[in-house]
Amino acid sequence: MTWVYWPFRVAITLAALMLVLQAVLAGQFLAGTFGALGMHRDNATYAGIMVLVAAACALLVWRPGRGPLWPFLATLALFGLIAVQIGLGFGRVLAVHVPLGLAIIALCGRLALWSWQAKPAAVAVSA
Amino acid sequence: MNRRRFLAVLGGGAATAVVGVPLVVGVRGASSTGALLPSRCPLPVPFTRPLTVPAVLRPTRTDATTDYYTVTQRPGTAAFLDGVDTRIWGYEGTFPGPTIRSRSGRRAVVTHHNQLPVPVSVHLHGGHTPASEDGFPTDLLFPAGFAGDMSMAGVMTHGTRDYAYTVRQRAATLWYHDHRMDFTGPSVWRGLAGFHLVTDDEEQRLPLPSGERDLPLMIVDRSFDAGGQLRYPSIDGTLLHTPGVTEPYGAGVLGDVILVNGTPWPVAPVAAARYRLRILNASNARRYRLALDPGGVLLQIGTDGGLLPAPRPHEAIELAPAQRFDVVVDFSRYRTGQQVTLVNEFGEGRAGQVMRFHVTGPAPDGSSVPSTLSVDTALSTGDSVATRTFHFRHGTVGGAAGWTVNGEPFAPDRDVARPRLGTTETWRLMSDFHHPIHVHLAHFQVLSRGIGAPGDYDHGWKDTIDLRPAEEATILVRFEDYPGRYLLHCHNLEHEDMAMMAAFTVA
Repeated sequence: MTWVYWPFRVAITLAALMLVLQAVLAGQFLAGTFGALGMHRDNATYAGIMVLVAAACALLVWRPGRGPLWPFLATLALFGLIAVQIGLGFGRVLAVHVPLGLAIIALCGRLALWSWQAKPAAVAVSA
Repeated sequence: MNRRRFLAVLGGGAATAVVGVPLVVGVRGASSTGALLPSRCPLPVPFTRPLTVPAVLRPTRTDATTDYYTVTQRPGTAAFLDGVDTRIWGYEGTFPGPTIRSRSGRRAVVTHHNQLPVPVSVHLHGGHTPASEDGFPTDLLFPAGFAGDMSMAGVMTHGTRDYAYTVRQRAATLWYHDHRMDFTGPSVWRGLAGFHLVTDDEEQRLPLPSGERDLPLMIVDRSFDAGGQLRYPSIDGTLLHTPGVTEPYGAGVLGDVILVNGTPWPVAPVAAARYRLRILNASNARRYRLALDPGGVLLQIGTDGGLLPAPRPHEAIELAPAQRFDVVVDFSRYRTGQQVTLVNEFGEGRAGQVMRFHVTGPAPDGSSVPSTLSVDTALSTGDSVATRTFHFRHGTVGGAAGWTVNGEPFAPDRDVARPRLGTTETWRLMSDFHHPIHVHLAHFQVLSRGIGAPGDYDHGWKDTIDLRPAEEATILVRFEDYPGRYLLHCHNLEHEDMAMMAAFTVA
C-alpha cells in the first residue's frame, strides 16, 4: 500500500512551496511592488485549498494506508491556522500575522519532510 | 534515471516554478508605486528636439504692493509628437502653463478664467497662502454657463475668480496645478501645471547662475494613444461624474514618454559654465533618480521650501512626485562638444533617460555657489507642542479599493488635526507603499527617517516628503500666519483622487 503516501507527499509539498511564495510576495510588496499585494491575497486562498487537499490525502495514509492518523489531524490544524492567518492579514494584525506566517511555513515544511521520510512498508509490518 | 533522481528533479522543478521564478522576477521591488500605461504609437526619438522654457507671464498691471496676472484655462494643442496636434488642457492653453515670477513681499493676484468643460481648483503648491486662496478641492471655479449640477460644500464661483497670494515667504521654486476633488490626476495629466518662482533679497544677493542659465525643468511622464493623443485610464473620460481609473492603475499611472517642459527627451545647448536647474517632478506617480552621464556633481542649493543653508553635492538625486530640487551643474567640467545626458536610474527602458545637454564651448561665467546660501532656521524638537501619527495605507473607500489616511477616506468637512496657529508639531508619517506626502500651508523639516537621521534628499525646508514602502518618517511642522482648513495628502495623484487626503484646521 505504498501508493497511498504519494498523493499526500505531492499535495503537502506543493502547499509548502505555495506558503513560501507567500513570504516572497510579502517581501515584494514591502519593496513597493503593488501587484504583489493582490497576489499575496489570492495565493493565500490557493495555498489554503492545497492544504485542505493535502488533509484529504493524509486521510488515505490512515485508511486504507494503515499509517498514523496524526498527519491528517496536523494538516487539518494547519488549515485552521491558515484561516486565522487570512483573517489577521485582512485585519492588518501584522504583529501576529508575520510570526504566525513563519510558524505555518515551518509546520507545513515539517509535514512535507515527514511525508517523504515515512516508511509505509515498516508501518504495515508493525501493524 | 533512477527513481530518487527523478523525484529530486521533479521537486527542484516545482520549487523553481512556485517560488524561484517569482522570487527572481520580483527581487528588485519597485521604485514607483503604479502600473505602466504603454503608449500605442511609436515613441518619439530622444534628443532630437530642443528644450523650451515656459514663457514668463507678464503682469496685466502692477501697483505699489501687488502684481496682477490673468490666466485663462482652456483646451489647446501641443506638438509633443512630430506631425500631431495633441489635445491638452492648459493654463493659457499651454503645456506647461506660463511661469509666474514673484518677489517675496509683493502680493500676486492671479485672475483665473475657466474655459474648460469642467470645474477647476487652483493650488499654489508650496505657497504659504491664506486658506480661501489655497485651492481647497471643493472650492470650485466652474466654467461660465456650466449646466451640470456639481455643487460641493465649498465656495462655488462661475467663470472667473481671483487667487490672491500674499507671497510672504522665502525664495523658492513653487508650482501651481489643478486640485479639484476626485479629478486632479487626469487634469494635471492633460496639462494643468505651471511654475511659480519666488525670489527674495537673500537669493538676489547670491552670485548664483541666473537669466538664461537658470532653467526651470518640469519633468513628467505621459503616454499616448495610437492617434498621438494623451492616454489616461479614466473610468469617466469626461472627468465630470465617476472618479478613478481602471485597474491596474489605481496604484498610480506611469507613462513611457518623459517630457521636460512639454518636450519629449529634449536636448539643450549649454555653455561650458554653471547652470541652475530647478527640477520639478510633476509626474502623477513616477519617482526619479536623476544623475548625469558621464558622471558629474549635482550640487543641490535648494528644495521645496527654498535655499538650503549650505550646498550639498550629490551624485544623484531622488525625487518623488511634487518635489523640487534646485541644483547647480558646472558644465565647464566637460569638454566642448560633449553630450551630457540626464538619466533616470529608477527608470526602465526609455524612462531611463530624461534629457540631454550639449556643451557648446567656453563662455564667461561670473557665477559661483557660496558655501553659505541662506540663514539656517532649523526647527527644534523642543518647540514641538504635539505629536500626531498618520498612517497612509491601501484600504477600502466606498466599498472599493482605494487609499486612506488613518484608515479613513477623505472627508472635506472632517479634521484629522487641529494645530494651534503659531505652534510647531511633530508628525509621524507611516506608509505601506510609496507615498509622497504633501502638507499645505506649512513647510516642514525632516527629523528622522526610519530609525536613522534624515535621508540624503530630506534636507532643507520641504512641503513634500518621499515616503517609501513600509517606512516611517518624523517631521517638524510649523503652522504660521494663516488660520483655516488645509490639506495633508499623498501626491501620487491616483492615490489622492482615490481619497488619500485629510483636512486639518489651524486655529
